[in-house]
Amino acid sequence: PTPTSQVSKPLYLCSPFVEAALVKGNFKTIVMLPKYVDIMEWVAVNIFDFFQNLNMFYGVISECCTQQSCPSMSAGPTLNYTWINQDRKSVQLPAPTYIDYVMTWVQNLLDDENSFPTKSGHDFPASFPSTIKHVYRQLLRVFAHIYHAHYPQILHLRSEPHFNSLFAHFLAFGREYELLDMKDIRGSSNSPTVGIGALWERWKEMGILEG
Amino acid sequence: SKTAAKPADYVYFDRTSAGFSDEAVPRAKAAQLKLEHYYKVAVDAAIERNTRRVELERRLQSDSVMTDERKQRQLVQHGKKESTFLRLRRTKLGLEDFRTVKVIGKGAFGEVRLVQKTDTGKIYAMKTLKKEEMLKKDQLAHVRAERDVLAESNSPWVVQLFYSFQDPAYLYLIMEFLPGGDLMTMLIKYDTFSEDVSRFYMAECVLAIEAVHNLGFIHRDIKPDNILIDKDGHIKLSDFGLSTGFHKNHDSNYYQRLLEQANGATAPTPAQAARNSVMVNSINLTMTSKDQIATWKANRRKLAYSTVGTPDYIAPEIFLQQGYGNECDWWSLGAIMFECLVGYPPFCSETTHETYQKIVHWQYHLVIPEDVHLSREAEDLVKRLITSADRRLKIDQIKAHPFFYGVDWEAIRQIDAPFVPRLRSITDTSYFPTDELEQGPEEPAGGDASDANKDLAFLGYTFKRFTISSQAF
Ligand SMILES: Nc1ncnc2c1ncn2[C@@H]1O[C@H](COP(=O)(O)OP(=O)(O)OP(=O)(O)O)[C@@H](O)[C@H]1O
Repeated sequence: PTPTSQVSKPLYLCSPFVEAALVKGNFKTIVMLPKYVDIMEWVAVNIFDFFQNLNMFYGVISECCTQQSCPSMSAGPTLNYTWINQDRKSVQLPAPTYIDYVMTWVQNLLDDENSFPTKSGHDFPASFPSTIKHVYRQLLRVFAHIYHAHYPQILHLRSEPHFNSLFAHFLAFGREYELLDMKDIRGSSNSPTVGIGALWERWKEMGILEG
Repeated sequence: SKTAAKPADYVYFDRTSAGFSDEAVPRAKAAQLKLEHYYKVAVDAAIERNTRRVELERRLQSDSVMTDERKQRQLVQHGKKESTFLRLRRTKLGLEDFRTVKVIGKGAFGEVRLVQKTDTGKIYAMKTLKKEEMLKKDQLAHVRAERDVLAESNSPWVVQLFYSFQDPAYLYLIMEFLPGGDLMTMLIKYDTFSEDVSRFYMAECVLAIEAVHNLGFIHRDIKPDNILIDKDGHIKLSDFGLSTGFHKNHDSNYYQRLLEQANGATAPTPAQAARNSVMVNSINLTMTSKDQIATWKANRRKLAYSTVGTPDYIAPEIFLQQGYGNECDWWSLGAIMFECLVGYPPFCSETTHETYQKIVHWQYHLVIPEDVHLSREAEDLVKRLITSADRRLKIDQIKAHPFFYGVDWEAIRQIDAPFVPRLRSITDTSYFPTDELEQGPEEPAGGDASDANKDLAFLGYTFKRFTISSQAF
């Protein structure tokens, strides 16, 4: 409900912020699976790092993400995420609650020796790939919400080069290991591309992300 | 397409921290720094990983004897090792993963314990450093630099660091345990060494100091407490500096202030000061070096534990604030050599202040007691090390000095050491003064929550080494 389309364009899609980056160039060197290395270990440690880093940035702006400011977990006018509760029912939650659930859930998984083994001799469970997919998808939603609802705060705190690079890295990683579902960043297929879907397209044009 | 003109969607955004809590800005800054650190490490690690792989592949390729099957196995093995290292990054080691066997040493910011990793049973030395103390003493730049040296060196002359972690109150360093104790303890036990024995330790120290210099560092605080003895009796330099270097009050300002205070009271002219010292010396001459050794020894360990620390081995140019280079470490070596042969360091005194005075006026105070007999070569080397920085011998001259005649510089670490520790078990601490140390309760149960600033200061402290040994974890 903004008067002109000019104003309604999200800040993160505008110059100079869309170009802001801490890490210049392509992420391939740090995304590619190192030769001879176990793919499970590689994905595990990277997801571990993404979680830590995202958690750190959410911690910075969490004081601005309240039940009042963010009554729903949205990432755009037509993009709303729902949480599946214990009864397997889809529920709407305020963003801070939703994100708290996500972060707690991921932290517990990472700390769980059965899901993310760290001791020598312990192997990854057969369910690991599907666990990773779930984790990736939920972290993506947290990124998406921050872009949609809290980008001005990221700017006020001068963190946009950092946050952009972290997200671009996250996207590049998801693409490489087939964790990224385009539906999650674009919204439903019949509505026009919104939010971070457009960011994805822009970064691809700019050569930050592979096709 | 990029043009000089601003794009149509160029936005001017007024940044302000109004509306944020007081913590938001420092927290954001911390997050930025941490992420910068993260990407720097990520890129470096990718490059290093790549180098390791390429090197192995090249080596295997040029090997015409090894079967393809074995080569394949080596590559798989290599991948396993790299994967283990990645896993190590997710492994959270904490205090609870180690069991204290004994407190074996004490430093200005904490203590050193012999610990056992509970799951593997492996033995390590764990050094604890109290963050608050280090912040107070403004040690941080040092901590980082020193940690980096430890972490990067694979030198046999430097104690290896395997792992470090922190909680809000302490930093923890898990390093290799050197069961032979340190040179200070050995000197307390033996009073003096023969020239042959001294030659061995001095030669090894020369190589160790050279190794540190080659890494691009100046140790600045080499002393017998920092010279550790491994299981075969060879030496390694202890963690230079995580707390050493300028720690405690070894900064020049401190000594400057001490000096001013003293001068303010009595204001002796330089001539007077010199005359006084001559008097002190003449008294010393009536004392046999045996008495001197006894007095020195009685105080030695207390001095090592105190937070003021002993300046006994520090070169004068460090105090004088006229700038210094790595020659200062050769002065320290001279002072240690003097102690090995004579029984106490050349400028030892009742008080730190006096020691400092004597070092600055070393020309008047460097005296080899009459009842100690030194060979001409030994005396000459001491005097060419304990001398002004511009006249001090350089590394090549030191190695070529007649005192070291016959030393095989290439192979000294492989020859038998004069004292090889006799150890009954892997946790034998008989070479450490454990009964003099307070065997306190299981230490540090965390601390108060840290604020963003304090955390920031110790950024990047958590470290895990990539070596064969890291498989231990
Ligand atoms: N890796 C190790 N293995 C065995 N003993 C050690 C090890 N590191 C330190 N120690 C023992 O602990 C003592 C104190 O350690 P260290 O000298 O490193 O402490 P510090 O805080 O640096 O104090 P200082 O700067 O006065 O030496 C040493 O003199 C030595 O006896």
